[in-house]
Amino acid sequence: MIAKPKVAIAWLGSCGGCDEAVVDLNEALLQVTDAADVIFWPIALDYKYHHIEALRDGEIALSIVNGHVRNSEQEEVAKLIRKKSQLVLAFGACACFGGTPGLANLRTKEDILNWVYRDAPTVINPKGCYPQTRSQVNGKELTLPEFYERVYALNQVIDVDYYLPGCPPPPDLIASALKAVLEDKLPPRGSTLAPQKALCDTCKRNATKPARIAIKDIKRIHEVDANPDVCFLEQGILCLGPAIRGGCGEACININIPCRGCFGPVEGVEDSGAKFLSALAAILDVEDDGEMRELIERIDDPAGYLYRFSLPVSILGSKRIQES
Amino acid sequence: MSNFEPKLVCFSCRFGWGYLADEDALASQIDNWIPIICSGKIDATHIMDAFRQGADGVLILGCPEGDCHFQDGNFETRKRVYLLQKVLASCGIEPERVRLELSVDPEGKTIAERVKSMNESIKRMGPVKRVPSAA
Repeated sequence: MIAKPKVAIAWLGSCGGCDEAVVDLNEALLQVTDAADVIFWPIALDYKYHHIEALRDGEIALSIVNGHVRNSEQEEVAKLIRKKSQLVLAFGACACFGGTPGLANLRTKEDILNWVYRDAPTVINPKGCYPQTRSQVNGKELTLPEFYERVYALNQVIDVDYYLPGCPPPPDLIASALKAVLEDKLPPRGSTLAPQKALCDTCKRNATKPARIAIKDIKRIHEVDANPDVCFLEQGILCLGPAIRGGCGEACININIPCRGCFGPVEGVEDSGAKFLSALAAILDVEDDGEMRELIERIDDPAGYLYRFSLPVSILGSKRIQES
Repeated sequence: MSNFEPKLVCFSCRFGWGYLADEDALASQIDNWIPIICSGKIDATHIMDAFRQGADGVLILGCPEGDCHFQDGNFETRKRVYLLQKVLASCGIEPERVRLELSVDPEGKTIAERVKSMNESIKRMGPVKRVPSAA
């Protein structure tokens, strides 16, 4: 009998939503397990890192890696998986772009630790204990992974072969990505396994968009009853659709929530936040400096809004790992 | 830092700045000078890229308000720069490191002076101090 190809599913800095998305394949998951052996999947199966270490280099046909890298354990696992795998798929917004946790890059490591272990109102820490990579307890040494200075996307730590964005990626794209791997019908390495055009291209609200959008007010989605049939931008609600890759099935738009950008930039664009910023400035319908300032001040936390999922790979934030 | 020499990038619109002068001669006096057609052409990406490549400041020279060859390219840039300054501030890059001046100088004689004047204020600020997002 010919051995089935081996598949690993690894989570790094991850919430578990991406693993849940794999489970959401439902019966289709059984077809995957018919065609391949899942040899590593921490959220579902009891396999250990040393099982992976025992494999030959390149023995895993495909590793699906979700989550960002922010500590030494995540870096170690990512590098181990890379060594043992023929293909690595960055799965989900965190692996592809750093994801929402990447917003932590707007603060220093010191600020974050001080808030979490000292300053937050819910913290009681009279001894001022902070996590240490090594500590002695009852004569035994305990170790913790090192918390890094910043959040990294997967391709800032290891070479990545394919990308499947989304928070989490939708089941239809996961199924077609797995099918492409199993049938050996993959596009060139480095490709994103999702459509190339912007979300607006397939958004059903696109038809309601006037020839020229001009907004005089900026509203947040919870402040208004948004019209479920009209383009969000036309309503003055910031929707990242023009700069963000489509393929999500307009999951947010369909429940009357604007696009936040979990699919990352459209093909050929490096920084979706910068692109959206330029587009947004163009549609602000203001006559003078005073009106301009007033309207722009209405945007709470522009950096967070533009880079909700992609700060670690933005033009200003992009950096390869050098911490270990 | 006493021996800090700031690196500045200067974009200027060809319609308002130095169009009567010899561009090559002017360029020899101004480091990192990028004449373009309309300040409205400058995307947020270009400004961010300047900072990524080590700039300490970006100076944009556009045409006077109401005098854009393409109706309102200079005002479009003003909106873009103001919004961008908000984003840069979150990344530890002070808003003053991007300066937009809307005026006109056909001979381009004041371009070098304006770069120098901005250089002086950047010198007082020191090099860009960045949070991890822009490390």
